[in-house]
Amino acid sequence: MTEADRDVFYEAVSAYPNGRSTAARLALTAREQGYGGVVLRTDPDRETAVGPANPTEIADADGIDAVDGVEIRTDSPGSASGALGEHRAEHTLVILAGGTGEMNRFAAEEPRIDVLARPMAGRGDVDHVVARAAARNGVRIEFDFSSVLRTSGGRRVRAVSDLRKLRELVGKYDVPYVVSAGAGSHLELRAPRELAAVGEVIGFPREAVLEGLSEWGRLAARNRDLQGGSFIEPGVRVESYDEES
Amino acid sequence: MCALPKHLRPRWRYLAVGIERPPDSSLDRRTFQRALWAAARELLGDPGSADCDPTVMRFRFDEEGRTGEAIVRVRRNERERGRAALACVSDIGDEPVGLHVRGTSGTIRSCEERHLRGRSDSGSEMTVIFGGVDRPARKRGGERVDVHTEEGWVGATALDIETETSDREQRE
Repeated sequence: MTEADRDVFYEAVSAYPNGRSTAARLALTAREQGYGGVVLRTDPDRETAVGPANPTEIADADGIDAVDGVEIRTDSPGSASGALGEHRAEHTLVILAGGTGEMNRFAAEEPRIDVLARPMAGRGDVDHVVARAAARNGVRIEFDFSSVLRTSGGRRVRAVSDLRKLRELVGKYDVPYVVSAGAGSHLELRAPRELAAVGEVIGFPREAVLEGLSEWGRLAARNRDLQGGSFIEPGVRVESYDEES
Repeated sequence: MCALPKHLRPRWRYLAVGIERPPDSSLDRRTFQRALWAAARELLGDPGSADCDPTVMRFRFDEEGRTGEAIVRVRRNERERGRAALACVSDIGDEPVGLHVRGTSGTIRSCEERHLRGRSDSGSEMTVIFGGVDRPARKRGGERVDVHTEEGWVGATALDIETETSDREQRE
């Protein structure tokens, strides 16, 4: 990893009122740790966040990219589908929290979803059907490091073995993926190199972790381009006419 | 016992670590060292932890600003595993702790010179308007402000708050 690579790493964070730090504080700390951007997992039900600055203000003040994302947390595909229709056009990134077989399956089969977060949380599980569907629809599966970093004992052992299972499936079916420490406060953020080091200990190749961190940034850039107005359909875009060329 | 000849001595690498804690929590060298050993043992196991041997060489924690710095020594070829153990120190004494490896060096002296910053700005108490309500807060270095709410301390920056004085100026 060289200095020039620093800006490509992104981390997805839960900011106040869901987390214990505001988006601006998380962004400030993330920049110090070498991230190029943060994805804000806004909760649509608590979107009327008090006080905190919006992504553009944060980007201007802290010199770090702040991506306007939304994390849909429901337990039924029906209400998730409704929320999806409502938020897809408004936000750059749409993340769906998995954690049950039903929700994981729904997310994997829905191309409008960018990221399936925490698929192994709770009683959630991912099988070859979900993995194949996610690969086909371009839904990124998230490797959530939060339990490895912040729990211990049996819970952590289960989290590590879940990550291993997920890693094997993702490798087998070539599923796109993202990596996150699932930070809810600026104290829970860990730098890209630290996450890569932890990943190495639990069996991830170092490059895979860094790749997963930069995937957030690539996703954000792609969606901004698609939502930017110059994009009409694949292969067709509106561009300003340059007379000299 | 006589000292080992130089070419037989273990080679070390020194990690400069930045520490941050929420207001109202403290940290001393022994507690930090114990938490680091515990994290290394849990993550790397006994043999891995013995190989890595993370030892706190320098430690400073500023009670006012709730930030600190440490230099942690690890065996030279175990640098990445030491980094992983540090990343897994998430709580000390039921309060969260933020750790960040600022850099590594081959000697303590160059580690201090290159990566340690000395005393941080001490925190000052103030009242801020956060989410439309007056709340007690502590200012930290730079733009950082910690605001006390019903749910505990919330990390914020100058962007998120209005200070009492600036608010009054606006009204006038």
